[in-house]
Amino acid sequence: MSEHNEHKGEHHDAHHVNYKKIYFVLLGLLVVSIIGPEFGIVWVTLVTAFGVALIKANLVVQNFMHLRWEKRIMKWMLSTSVVLMFLLFAGVAPDVMKHEGTRWVNDAALAATARGIEAPHHEGDEAAAEEHAEEPAGSEEAMVAEADDQAFDAKGAFTTVCATCHGPAGAGDGPGAAALNPKPANFALASFWEGKTDAELIKAIREGGAAVGLSPLMPAWGGLYDEAKAKALVDYIKTFRK
Amino acid sequence: MQKPIATTRSATGIPTGRLAIWWVLASEVVIFGGLLASYLMFRLGHPEWANAAAVTNTYIGAFNTFVLLSSSFSAVLAHQAAENGDGKLAAKYLWITIAGAVVFLLVKSYEWWYEISHGYTITANGFWSFYYTAAGLHAAHVIAGAIIMGFIAVDAAKGKELQRVELIGIYWHFVDVVWIFLFPLLYIAK
Repeated sequence: MSEHNEHKGEHHDAHHVNYKKIYFVLLGLLVVSIIGPEFGIVWVTLVTAFGVALIKANLVVQNFMHLRWEKRIMKWMLSTSVVLMFLLFAGVAPDVMKHEGTRWVNDAALAATARGIEAPHHEGDEAAAEEHAEEPAGSEEAMVAEADDQAFDAKGAFTTVCATCHGPAGAGDGPGAAALNPKPANFALASFWEGKTDAELIKAIREGGAAVGLSPLMPAWGGLYDEAKAKALVDYIKTFRK
Repeated sequence: MQKPIATTRSATGIPTGRLAIWWVLASEVVIFGGLLASYLMFRLGHPEWANAAAVTNTYIGAFNTFVLLSSSFSAVLAHQAAENGDGKLAAKYLWITIAGAVVFLLVKSYEWWYEISHGYTITANGFWSFYYTAAGLHAAHVIAGAIIMGFIAVDAAKGKELQRVELIGIYWHFVDVVWIFLFPLLYIAK
């Protein structure tokens, strides 16, 4: 108690905070953050979610934790921690957030994205979500089960996965192609199809370009497509041939 | 028991106990900050996580936010009572805060039970791994805080060590602040 009293005059007499008022402001802000997403506008949701969170956190830190009456050294100490957090983000985020770059492709991340996007939970498709509520979204077992009881959609798979590099019409001009050297195969060219067998193409899809002596930048997709699915993809890309 | 000399000496002009609790929180900022920053970069880099995030229940999250904000309010009232030398009242408010922690944990248990029983386990995918790690680490802080608060409340009711009421309060508000960020990250941003 004694140490507390010594500093009482220094800090605590200055606190004439109306805690009740702050509490009600916090509750009001909570309501704002719940109502925000109801409008369905992305920037409104982001502002009401994260903008409001920052205001709420600041109110709590300044008034309930009394940081605003604390000595400056304390603010520096805490700021250092926050700066370290941003430093971590800045240093690591490029690796995590970019899935391909000059001469490299993050196969695992692309595959995870492709798996997840095919997952049963699509926005606005509540009946489907309900039907699949028993299965974990995006887990591999669910995906396999999902894929097995439906005909494999080669066109859909091509559009979500392959078209990233091979382009929507298979011309080797997808958004990912710019960074790749050698360039992705152009399925429209007759010269591409010369001497190509189905088995070779299936192997390329499932084991990667390097497995058939082509570009190692073509990832192995065997985790996503079994023999039959890869065959379906091969049949589909044949339709691009001119 | 004789008190260690460090508890009554202050080089910074800040009471030692309070300096210590701020140090704890400065390191907690790095722990939770690192976790949340990692979550954020994965969430931004993986659009498919939106499918998983759509499953979390915003209303349950909002209710727990309400519970934690209220418990922060009672914690600060406990601090105010302790400042006025009213240990009994401070203890009463601390017990209310502990009750808030218990409600929070019960709601969380129901939520997790529901999600796990529907197959959304920690190994389901990246989103759920972060979900259980972040919320779990936070819940561990709630549990630890509630237990320590119980000891402090018992002392405070006898008028002993009233400065500790403020210290546990500062910690508690921090736990509240972490949840203030977890709520939009895990529940609102679909």
